[in-house]
Amino acid sequence: MPRPTPRTITFSIDGREVQADENMMLVDAAKLGDVEIPVFCYEPKLGAPVGACRMCLVEIEGIPKLQTACSTPVKDGMVVHTQNARVKEAQEAVVEFLLVNHPLDCPVCDKGGECPLQDISFGWGGGKSRFVEPKRHFEKPLALSPLIAIDRERCILCYRCVRFSQEVSEDYQLVLHERGAATYVGTFDSHPYVAPFSGNIIELCPVGALTSRPYRFRARPWDIEGGGTVCTLCPSQCNVHLTVRDERVLRVLARQHDGVDDGWLCDKGRFAYQAIHADERVTAPMVRDGGVLREVSWERALGEAASALGRMHGKVAALAGGDTTNEEAFLVQRIVREALGGQDLDSAPGIAARDLHALARPDLQASVPDLEFAHTVLVLGTEPVDDMPIVDLRIRKGVRRNRVKLAVATSRPSSLDANAALSVRFAPGGEAAFVSGLAAAIYGGDVDGPARAAGCDADALRSLAEMLRTGAGGNDGPPTAGDVVILYGQRLLRGTSGVAQALQKIAGGLNIVGREGAGLLAVPDATNGRGIAEAGFLPGYGPGYVAGPEGRDAAGIADGLRDGDLTALYLLHTDPIRDSGDAPGWDAALEKASYVVAHAQYLTEGVREHANVVFPAESHAEKEGTLTHPDGRVQRLRPAIGRQDQVRPEWQVLNDLAGRLDLDLGVLTGAMATTQLVEAVPFYAGITLNALGGTGLRWPATDPGAQAFPEPAADPAGTDGALAAATPSQGGRRENGGVSDLGALRLGTFRSIWASPEVEVAPALKFLAPRQKVEIAPADAERLDVRHGEAVTVGGDGITVDAVVHVRANAPEGTVFLQTGIADGSANVLGGPLVEIVGRDREPAVVGAPAAEADAEPDSAGDDTVPSEAPTPEETDAHRTDEVDASPETVEGAPADQAHNPEGEA
Amino acid sequence: MSANLIFHNIDEPGLNTLEVFQRRGGYGDRLKKALQMPREALVEELKASGLRGRGGAGFSMGMKASFMPKGAMDKYLVCNADESEPGTFKDRELMQKIPHLLIEGMIIGAYAAGANQSFIFIRGEYAQQADILEAAIDEAKAAGLIGKNILGSGFDLQMWVHRGAGAYICGEETALLDALEGKRGNPRLKPPFPANQGLYQGPTLINNVETLATTPFIVEMGGAEYAKIGVQNSTGTKLISISGHVQRPGNYEIELGMKSRDIIYGLAGGPGEGRSVKLWFPGGSSSPVLTGDDLDLSYDFDTLAKAGTMLGSGAIIVADDTTSVVDVALKTAEFYKHESCGKCTPCREGTTWTVKMLQRIKSGEATPMDLDIIASVCERIIGNCLCVLGDAMAMPVGSMVKKFRGEFEEYIEARREESERALLASVGAVA
Repeated sequence: MPRPTPRTITFSIDGREVQADENMMLVDAAKLGDVEIPVFCYEPKLGAPVGACRMCLVEIEGIPKLQTACSTPVKDGMVVHTQNARVKEAQEAVVEFLLVNHPLDCPVCDKGGECPLQDISFGWGGGKSRFVEPKRHFEKPLALSPLIAIDRERCILCYRCVRFSQEVSEDYQLVLHERGAATYVGTFDSHPYVAPFSGNIIELCPVGALTSRPYRFRARPWDIEGGGTVCTLCPSQCNVHLTVRDERVLRVLARQHDGVDDGWLCDKGRFAYQAIHADERVTAPMVRDGGVLREVSWERALGEAASALGRMHGKVAALAGGDTTNEEAFLVQRIVREALGGQDLDSAPGIAARDLHALARPDLQASVPDLEFAHTVLVLGTEPVDDMPIVDLRIRKGVRRNRVKLAVATSRPSSLDANAALSVRFAPGGEAAFVSGLAAAIYGGDVDGPARAAGCDADALRSLAEMLRTGAGGNDGPPTAGDVVILYGQRLLRGTSGVAQALQKIAGGLNIVGREGAGLLAVPDATNGRGIAEAGFLPGYGPGYVAGPEGRDAAGIADGLRDGDLTALYLLHTDPIRDSGDAPGWDAALEKASYVVAHAQYLTEGVREHANVVFPAESHAEKEGTLTHPDGRVQRLRPAIGRQDQVRPEWQVLNDLAGRLDLDLGVLTGAMATTQLVEAVPFYAGITLNALGGTGLRWPATDPGAQAFPEPAADPAGTDGALAAATPSQGGRRENGGVSDLGALRLGTFRSIWASPEVEVAPALKFLAPRQKVEIAPADAERLDVRHGEAVTVGGDGITVDAVVHVRANAPEGTVFLQTGIADGSANVLGGPLVEIVGRDREPAVVGAPAAEADAEPDSAGDDTVPSEAPTPEETDAHRTDEVDASPETVEGAPADQAHNPEGEA
Repeated sequence: MSANLIFHNIDEPGLNTLEVFQRRGGYGDRLKKALQMPREALVEELKASGLRGRGGAGFSMGMKASFMPKGAMDKYLVCNADESEPGTFKDRELMQKIPHLLIEGMIIGAYAAGANQSFIFIRGEYAQQADILEAAIDEAKAAGLIGKNILGSGFDLQMWVHRGAGAYICGEETALLDALEGKRGNPRLKPPFPANQGLYQGPTLINNVETLATTPFIVEMGGAEYAKIGVQNSTGTKLISISGHVQRPGNYEIELGMKSRDIIYGLAGGPGEGRSVKLWFPGGSSSPVLTGDDLDLSYDFDTLAKAGTMLGSGAIIVADDTTSVVDVALKTAEFYKHESCGKCTPCREGTTWTVKMLQRIKSGEATPMDLDIIASVCERIIGNCLCVLGDAMAMPVGSMVKKFRGEFEEYIEARREESERALLASVGAVA
């Protein structure tokens, strides 16, 4: 629903005339008159107020009883008193009541010094105690989860954490047990509260009842410093505040930005700071010497890299990804293009640079808050909680509070299905056909053909088109689409230009081009995918999508390395063996490459095995520079700690390297790199570090920026040609990849929120590091005689990965899903499109055998014993908690399947 | 003077069946008349009757029905049959013996509210009454009195019985709605009031069993005629439950405005031989107590309010002069402490604290200063809570401490000396 436009009214508070928006809650409106009304339970981020703590009682003339300011909308002419004797008495009463059972163990409480209960007791309490009775006791502290400790004696039962779990993250795990003074917060059956956003309850807690276990007893507020920056662990780019003590990051807090994160963080963003100080991190330059990487001096590392790259002039390619800043991408593309005679750069493997350019048009961009106020939101080919977690919460908020109509179109069942008015499934590999089919359904073309190719129900596709077209309803006229936001996974664009064409066509058909509050929003694979591309790290494009000489894309670079046309590769915060879809191809390419230079924080497989020189990369706590959010917001990174050990600023490393290659980049400070970048990218015009400040700027919404965007060229294949190309001739199981027809299953992949090196090395998060599992429909599991939890191998063509069977009630039949981005057994070693499953324990002989010989296996399985256990109930994947059995011993049992069950299937 | 309207023929065998109830005039012309009236006219009749809610708050039923918004939307009627206030057992007898009267009242109430769906939220302990109601609803359904096009009026109504899980707080109307929705039964913030956003966020009229069961008579007699019963601002008859130290405890129907003494002594026979009334709760255990000096008060809403208490649910609990006020206070406080939902601070902490102090008085560890603290804690609860449960403890306990302060002080002194002696004796025994 569109944003409301409030009326300004005047009310009186403690004798002051104050202007405020009508219906603002009194507690907020009071602040406009510099009046603070104390609160505990009130937190607008959690939705409607509950009025439970009674701390905010005020007197309103004309109303006999005192009213809770947190739940009273301000009206014109209202006369409010917050300081008179009656209100003071009530405030003292509430503070006294809150303290009667509070242990007052402030000296040993983590919250001490930054505790609202302390502050409010001081500011509004009576200052004396009349309570001589024994206090309420609970066992304490207990592990609510491996990440959170709960002290129930300190709890003042403000409901915030429970409301978060129930109404914001919707994991429905936290509840209140018992009644009255015996009430306590917990989970059903005391299983650990493990969920993607659980850590937010620590920040929400107004007392020391919920504390961070990794931070517990590490510092006091007066020991710490802090700095605001941006989290670079995923494209959400949440704004964070880092707590620092002695040059170590000890904690990450949300730095609320309504345009980006709404004040929430995911647990990866909140706890992965430990990875900054992990032993596994690369903190000194390394050079391959005698087959192994050894730490060396900067001089030697820079010298060797420069001389090798210089020797291979014209045969150097580069890939960038991850948290590469705009400046780093800009500088590396300068080095490759200006000093090394190369044009082969890519940061979006498999995606045509032209498509990125076309979809980056400012008039197509939706912003993050638009998700909250649109008439309709379509989640297309992405699982937000895994790919851009914080957006998941924003979508839920829109649906819950503003009645946004949500449609989900994915191949894998989505955790948002329960919130969606319509969920449509298509087969993995059918993405392009699906999107072109949707375009056809909106415009009125052939829908059945693409739907068949996409492996999706044509009627569902038509319903989706209808829903998008009519979201705003019509007042006496024909219904219109209104504000539609399409959140699409950029991976949809892989392999064909048809998808980008179709998306533009859909946007045109829904009339959302240039429409305020509507548009497209991409979920890139890399944190700064958008910024890296805009900085010129694409084949055929210089900075700012200015067309330049042609170059090879990622696949071409791999080919070139394998063929020997290219000899050196520059890896900027990316490891193609981990991050690309084709691990074997890249393994061969890196093997063949004569020289590999990498900027890396961790020695992931590709870097460890193939890099000749590794430059230690900065973490986001150390880095300065800018990132560009998927919605076009340029945001500033600011260092909060000094660089660890030998780590140097990467702009400086690049400047030094360029100098050794006889290119003077002229970058003597981080800010100079930003200045160069802004000069080179026309639509960043007017952006300065000062202007970015703490909140950034959305260039598609700024005047000089949006005007300066270079018009994308027409697709050479033409719209229809590209669309036709997007519709594959087959959608079934014809191309069998060497797998028998009988046992063959379509392979789909996904990357979990927890699939990252930071999770693997951060001690607190290790227990969440995903292990490979194969998601399969109950019918397929039965047909193939595999049981939930069984160890199997999955693969074809002689390549397999080990996995554990995970039966999902609403998984599509004929398709399995495997994870990518994990350290062991990532699905990107498999070629697909079809795979088969072989039980590992039961038929060991089949493992590694040519798949075709395993023909009879699934068939004969029918005679075997029927699986003894029924398939386990469906669990919401996004809130997947089954990895917890690797958790610290404090957690009893695995909390699997506790998350909410979106479709009630079992 | 006792009256005979709702409880007319109450003990007739088989009155709980449709056949006997209809023979006695139920579901007859008065229901047809109600359903043929324009909705607004029916609401006007209810207003004119002066009928005030019989559940405890005493708000005009007609006014409440008139707050229901017009227009096509899902509206609900909910009957609050979570009769849990200590001392109150009138609805139980009503539902058990004349379930069809409640159903008829609900049809009328739902028609006045424009609701097509209705629920009876009955406390879980009333299993027998719930069974009876369900059987009665089945009978009424079979007879076409519930369902589509009732008596050819074009009015549709569905009706369900929902059994509560036994929490006192679910008698609070918004907690009841949460519980009915399948949530934890916690009171909601008001506003919004149920008439605007009640069950499933839809407009909802909630009334007590007795209130709804009165409406057929109002339709039958006409609002103005009904208003002639009773006294000004307290019209009609009232079911009262008398318990405690009286010789004939039970349910009685009275005309409002009867003298309290006539109820306690006349109807219920008063305390036993040689005893006198020490204190009495006029309207359930949440009403501030009155003493033997207050027996000449007229039993109506306004008079009792003027005396600093309330008519509440019409449950009179009598304690005679053999009763210790400390026991009454502790018993009362313990009940509300146990039933506090824990959502808001003053009630959750205040009731617990009060109980702890009263227990200390009992065990001889208190001083008269604790009486000041109890009084102050009670004052600090009243008016500061999310719902009225906190007040329901603070008002009677506060009133007892105020009215019987002397007895409390004597008790404290006596128990202190006693416990000191016991302590000395135990020390002596050891030495």
